[in-house]
Amino acid sequence: MNRTGRHGYRGYIGSRPVLGNRTPQHVQNLVIRDYAQRHGLTYKLSATEYAMPACYMMLHQVLEELPMLEGMIAFSLFMLPRRAERRLAVYRRVLDAGASLHTALEGFALHGEGDIDRLERIWLVQSQQLPTLQIP
Amino acid sequence: MIDPEFLTAEERALSERFIAQGYLIAPVENRASLDRIRAHVAAAACEMLGITPMPKDGGKDGSSGDGIGALLDGIHGHVDPERLNALRLSVIGAMAAAPWFRAAYFSLARQALSAVIGNELAMQRRVNLSIQLPGDAESLLPVHADVWSGDSPFEAVLWVPLVDCYGTKAMYLLPPVPNAHLSDRLHQFAERGAEDIYRSIEPDIEWMTVPYGHYLLFNQNLAHGNRVNREPETRWSMNCRFKGVFTPYADKKLGEFFEPITLRAMSRLGMDYRLPGGFDE
Repeated sequence: MNRTGRHGYRGYIGSRPVLGNRTPQHVQNLVIRDYAQRHGLTYKLSATEYAMPACYMMLHQVLEELPMLEGMIAFSLFMLPRRAERRLAVYRRVLDAGASLHTALEGFALHGEGDIDRLERIWLVQSQQLPTLQIP
Repeated sequence: MIDPEFLTAEERALSERFIAQGYLIAPVENRASLDRIRAHVAAAACEMLGITPMPKDGGKDGSSGDGIGALLDGIHGHVDPERLNALRLSVIGAMAAAPWFRAAYFSLARQALSAVIGNELAMQRRVNLSIQLPGDAESLLPVHADVWSGDSPFEAVLWVPLVDCYGTKAMYLLPPVPNAHLSDRLHQFAERGAEDIYRSIEPDIEWMTVPYGHYLLFNQNLAHGNRVNREPETRWSMNCRFKGVFTPYADKKLGEFFEPITLRAMSRLGMDYRLPGGFDE
């Protein structure tokens, strides 16, 4: 537990394909656990995003929980909303809550404003390669 | 939809009740297996918590207020919420390590599963265990339907308590008609939490009263969940998913999550069959 009484990092996995690939939920959890272990973070049981396309209800729930957490660990950066404004709002909520956002598959972390640009650059380049990441 | 010419009266009644209510609650079909499962679970819990000797079941009436049932009901006197997950994982490990366990679990509702799902079944590879201590807010399952999280809509859940479950010690289910209304407006909760959904359905939910010795078989496409257990006893319940082995799979796949358990002779023969080859055009 840190000095503010907040404890642990909530995992965030999905039931929809990421970048067109399906990763079994238990494998997503393994990747997150491994990331947490290697970075000395306390992993808390994952929330599983729903299967409905464009639904981010579980992400919203994790964001609501952030004041009690040190942060969250998503399986992949590319599980975040496709719409840039929504992604930026996620980053903003994480930082405003004094928390951090980690993406286990890619090994990225959002700790401050400076990290937003890096994540977004990667997202935008990837979306050029993969039209499914673009907004129709 | 249910052809009366081909189903027995009992199958028809079960099917119609399952569709109308979304669940069945009935005495287990194999009480000896349930008692064996409960004794195994209790022994694993006692070993992990260092409780010796393990109490014995003295009651013949199947009440959980005796022996092993009393131990499980009162486990919150032996474990705090911080150690609860370690206990749960330890007991789940013992359940998975017993080679007879899944067949025994299946035998608890074999006929009902056959009537509601079919007689060629796939079963979840690991039977899950929930332990819900009185007042513990950390082990909650907010309102959800399994199908929302990647389960196939063809799955049903066999939920079996190891103690008497009633009130908030049990789980709740949203009946089919209000569930259809929720489904229509679920998107309106996109920026709100599960608690908002719960509040909107609270007047319609049905709490499942399931005494020890009974099973609950329910349609996991219906919203369900639990709340803080406000009863003075701990809830112990197991759950496991079943589906027709040849029905469509979603994110929970055959092999990694499900395993065929009752393939019939003609299906085996059919899967092995190859048309004679070697002909030239």
